[in-house]
Amino acid sequence: MPKSQFIDPAKVRKSGVLKINDIPVNQYDKSIEEEKVNFSKEQFIDIYHDMVLIREFETMLNLIKIKGEYEGIAYNHPGPAHLSIGQESAAVGMAYNLGVEDFIFGSHRSHGEILAKGMSAIHKMDDEALTEVMKNFFDGTILKIVSENHQGDLKSLARRFLIYGTLAEIFARETGFNKGLGGSMHAFFTPFGVYPNNAIVGGSGDIAVGAALFKKVNQKEGIVVANIGDASMACGPVWEGLSFATMDQFDQLWEGAYKGGLPIIFNIMNNQYGMGGQTSGETMGYDIAARIGAGVNRDNMHAERVDGYNPLAVIDAYKRKMELIKDKKGPVLLDVLTYRYSGHSPSDASSYRSKEEIEAWEAQDCIASYAAELEKAGVASSKELEAIGADIKELMKYAMKLAIDEEVSPRMDLVKHPEIIGDMMFSNESLDKMEDRPVEVNHPMEENPRVQQIAKKERFAFDANGKPFSKIKQYQLRDGLFEAIVDRFYKDPTLVAYGEENRDWGGAFAVYRGLTEALPYNRLFNSPISEASIVGTAIGYAMCGGRVIPEIMYCDFLGRSGDEVFNQLPKWQAMSGNVIKMPVIVRVSVGSKYGAQHSQDWTSLVSHIPGLKVCFPVTPYDAKGLMNSALQGTDPVIFFESQRIYDIGEQFHEGGVPEGYYEIPFGEPDVKKQGKDITILSIGATLYRSLEAAEELEAKYGMSAEVIDARSIVPFNYEPVIESLKKTGRIILTSDANERGSFLKDMAQRLTELAFDELDAPPVVVGSRNWITPAYELEDYFFPTKDWLLDAIHEKIVPLKGHTVSNNFTNAENIRRSKLGI
Amino acid sequence: MANAIIMPRQGQSVESCIFTQWYKSVGDEVKSGDILFAYETDKASFEQEAEADGILLAVFCEEGDEIPVLQNIGVIGQAGENIDEFKSGGAEEAPRTEAVKEVAVEAAAEPVAEVVLKERAEGEKVKISPRAKKMAEEKAVPYASLEGSGPEGRIIVRDVEAYLASTPKTTPLAKEVIRQEGLQPAATGTGLDGTVKAADLTATNPVYSGDFEIKKLPNIRKLIAKAMHASLQNSAQLTHHLGADARRLQALRKQVKAKEGAPNITINDMVCFAVIKALKQFPDANAHFLGDSVKYFNKVHLGLAVDTDRGLMVPVIKNADDLSITGLSNQFKEVAEACRKGSVAPELLSSEAASFTVSNLGNYGVEMFTPVINLPQVAILGVNTIVPRPADLGGGVYGFVPYMGLSLTYDHQAIDGGLATRFLKQIAIEIENLTIDF
Repeated sequence: MPKSQFIDPAKVRKSGVLKINDIPVNQYDKSIEEEKVNFSKEQFIDIYHDMVLIREFETMLNLIKIKGEYEGIAYNHPGPAHLSIGQESAAVGMAYNLGVEDFIFGSHRSHGEILAKGMSAIHKMDDEALTEVMKNFFDGTILKIVSENHQGDLKSLARRFLIYGTLAEIFARETGFNKGLGGSMHAFFTPFGVYPNNAIVGGSGDIAVGAALFKKVNQKEGIVVANIGDASMACGPVWEGLSFATMDQFDQLWEGAYKGGLPIIFNIMNNQYGMGGQTSGETMGYDIAARIGAGVNRDNMHAERVDGYNPLAVIDAYKRKMELIKDKKGPVLLDVLTYRYSGHSPSDASSYRSKEEIEAWEAQDCIASYAAELEKAGVASSKELEAIGADIKELMKYAMKLAIDEEVSPRMDLVKHPEIIGDMMFSNESLDKMEDRPVEVNHPMEENPRVQQIAKKERFAFDANGKPFSKIKQYQLRDGLFEAIVDRFYKDPTLVAYGEENRDWGGAFAVYRGLTEALPYNRLFNSPISEASIVGTAIGYAMCGGRVIPEIMYCDFLGRSGDEVFNQLPKWQAMSGNVIKMPVIVRVSVGSKYGAQHSQDWTSLVSHIPGLKVCFPVTPYDAKGLMNSALQGTDPVIFFESQRIYDIGEQFHEGGVPEGYYEIPFGEPDVKKQGKDITILSIGATLYRSLEAAEELEAKYGMSAEVIDARSIVPFNYEPVIESLKKTGRIILTSDANERGSFLKDMAQRLTELAFDELDAPPVVVGSRNWITPAYELEDYFFPTKDWLLDAIHEKIVPLKGHTVSNNFTNAENIRRSKLGI
Repeated sequence: MANAIIMPRQGQSVESCIFTQWYKSVGDEVKSGDILFAYETDKASFEQEAEADGILLAVFCEEGDEIPVLQNIGVIGQAGENIDEFKSGGAEEAPRTEAVKEVAVEAAAEPVAEVVLKERAEGEKVKISPRAKKMAEEKAVPYASLEGSGPEGRIIVRDVEAYLASTPKTTPLAKEVIRQEGLQPAATGTGLDGTVKAADLTATNPVYSGDFEIKKLPNIRKLIAKAMHASLQNSAQLTHHLGADARRLQALRKQVKAKEGAPNITINDMVCFAVIKALKQFPDANAHFLGDSVKYFNKVHLGLAVDTDRGLMVPVIKNADDLSITGLSNQFKEVAEACRKGSVAPELLSSEAASFTVSNLGNYGVEMFTPVINLPQVAILGVNTIVPRPADLGGGVYGFVPYMGLSLTYDHQAIDGGLATRFLKQIAIEIENLTIDF
């Protein structure tokens, strides 16, 4: 909502008609004869070769799946194989014009795209570059394997490299492109511009947009292609990706070299089925998928339907669309019509389509008809073409033998290295910046109004006499976050931040106030209200080598980015065999006061998912230190903040929050108050209620409580808590997360196991009720309070003399509530 | 008329704002809608327009001041107007929030729990926290006898600590001995300041401390222990000893042995027969003492102490005064055999079942002992061995006469010494003048 854009009521209320431009359908109509001016014989034949290569590769896998052998070589592959037999022309046409610097993202059915883009890169790269890639990848491991007994030129060696690396990956071999951790549905090879394929339908629909954002923001060469299926057009995240990619601001607010549309083509590999669901006629209503472009922006996303059964039609479309993108008129939507003869997977009996239909498509088979055209136009003889097929068959036999050889292509040895996958979950690197070049900012940091305002603040909450400064004079938690973030913006040129109301407004909770002045649009901008795209694009941005802070305004909205947070963000570092790093710091703000859909603490949900780091600092000192660590690292972090305490001052760190840079390591809990009779371990803003309870325990019951702030949740070092337990023998754990399934339960269980003999009572968890969050005025009946803590201690840990409870923490009540599921 | 310029209120939670800048100077003319001043909260910056026309007459704050919302910060009016009533303080100390107390004072110690000992019922589970158990075991605290002060009666650390505070210090060796041997710690010791030493725990020489084994008591032993201990605790026992001339008994025994086909009537049978006769004459001794009342029995139910492998048993012969000497003898044999086999009916073993008990150690050569009463019976007779004693045989002749020792323990709560003596004497008389048919 920039002030520069004036919404004129007179204009927007005027009557009129919305005119939608025509969307072309299958307009390509050229013969090979006519195309001879555009293609050499070699190029015509390369196209044929690449299609046959894919056909044979997929046929091999199909035979292995259904017959347990290929060309007499037996093998059992229990893993997935979603094949694209029939779709070869669409893949090769898509990849033909793409350069090495162009990135493709794909789906669960992307073997063909990997091979097409891989071959396209091999055709284009010179020998030196190819050698460099193969030598450097996993220290030349794959190159060494395929070099053995190789005769022929470097390009044929590279072809071996591509086929073997892909196949070994599908067979989960450590010598595969992703060490066997990706497999069939996730295989990729970034040096050839093949970016992650995604087993979640539509998963690439927003991730690929982030890659395009990376290219634009960091002024990188090349475009991005999101290969997604026709059925994925029903997925929310795909629409969110489309909306994000077509934001007006790229054209209307971004300036200079950054002005203009995102360099991305949404390539719908339209094989007309989503598993067995027929998208046109049964499960969707678009009729022709290209129609969708009309619903997204003024340009219809330059959408058209292309006959994907003719490789030349697809090549022609790409040539034209890549021109548009070069002119910054992206993004583009292509509806590439194709058909798969193979089932969704080998277990598919094709009960949803008739034999006649399959035969009708086979009669027009994309490879056979192209071959016939080549022969007709005299480009190649049938003999030449047959020789290509025979050569490819030999190549497949060679690659298969090698890829199933346990000696040459072993799987990860988890007996010898039991923690090898564990070690890959996080990259744990410490990098000031992701790229070394000057940062783009609007003014020196000291000229920033927020920086100047903070300079006048008191960095410790109390004066020399222990009297607190007024709230507005105190250096607040939001200031701590700001200092860490602005510092990184001045260090790392790739850093971008976005989310809802991040620019102009300065973030709904004023953390980013001052950043609008400091940063151009291309580093800080407002996203659509669509959390899937906020997190999804950040993943794509990081995959390509950038660092990014997406923001989720309320924790409750995290559900809107469920697939991105649960399935994508945590997985790609390990699933890529550590080829990819994921420096994505998702800021998540936990609300209160606003009821059931704006007040939830979901730390437990994300902590359950392996591959995410999770923290929840609640003091300005911790917030700045942990944000610095998060931004220095290369791992995905879910960074929780609480709206209850954005304005809290620093009450613990003597000397106040340092002005300079410092880091607080992940995983280290912090003793906020020493004590000896009971330990209170808190996650999040309940720290302050824990301190109140500690004060009352001391004043009324003569007990001294040790209060520990977890600060981080994943990872977490239990040792300081065990040390405390050795002293106190008693522990109560509290957070604002609802009690059932709370991460505190995990901690309580672990502590029981680790320090059983130290316990004088069971560890007791005090979370919020398993209800909806009621109105602000009723929150004390829902969220833990000081009194709840005292009542729970009295009831379950040590009876407090003269204490009267107001809450029911008895076992009987516990059982009753559990029976009712509340 | 002059109008106050107030610091606007920005949202529910904002109590004060930082004033950043005046865009007009005192004396400037101001029009409604002119940007007048700027201020900020912790979340955002704002500019305020003038809401009235006039001259800026006075300002009460400057850049950087923290101003509570709704407070006057200046005045707009006409030249010469009095502005005194608007002066409300300008930059004022912001309202103070209560200082968060730094917890500096060393907290008072958590109150120590009181030690309450309890006897747990058979099979009652001891609830104790792992930490308290570990501490109790380390410090040799008999935690099973502590009353827990934790939730649901759980013994927690403070109970163990309270116990430790209430008992004397124990030397490390003593602790080790207590732990290893499962001994109860002594209440006070012989060391300095009452410290319990290992030597206080056991009479055995510590050099031989390994030369034994500890076995759990069988149930019968526990019952006997409990009954005997209770007997001495709950009654006022004393024993009188007296001898009876045993010549008649020995003569009768000879006759029994000499007569073919006669039942094997033993000396013990004959003594008991005599006791029954005496009891009929002394109902005070054939009774139960119940504290505030006495139960007198019409019949004699005679208990007889029997030594068995399992321990002492005292079966009863009901209505023993109805029996002939032969019947009594037979019944004694049967019941003693049943005891030794373990097949005796439990109700016959109850101390409540018998009205009087005889315990005969004569066979073993015991010359004198003090039997322990089976409460609530009021007395028990101990029968000793027969020894020859010098006696005046009359006519100036002294000779050795066999005498049988009789030891009567009685509860002084129920019976006085005189009655007890007369009763015991009567038993002797009955023995000395016994006649039996067989």
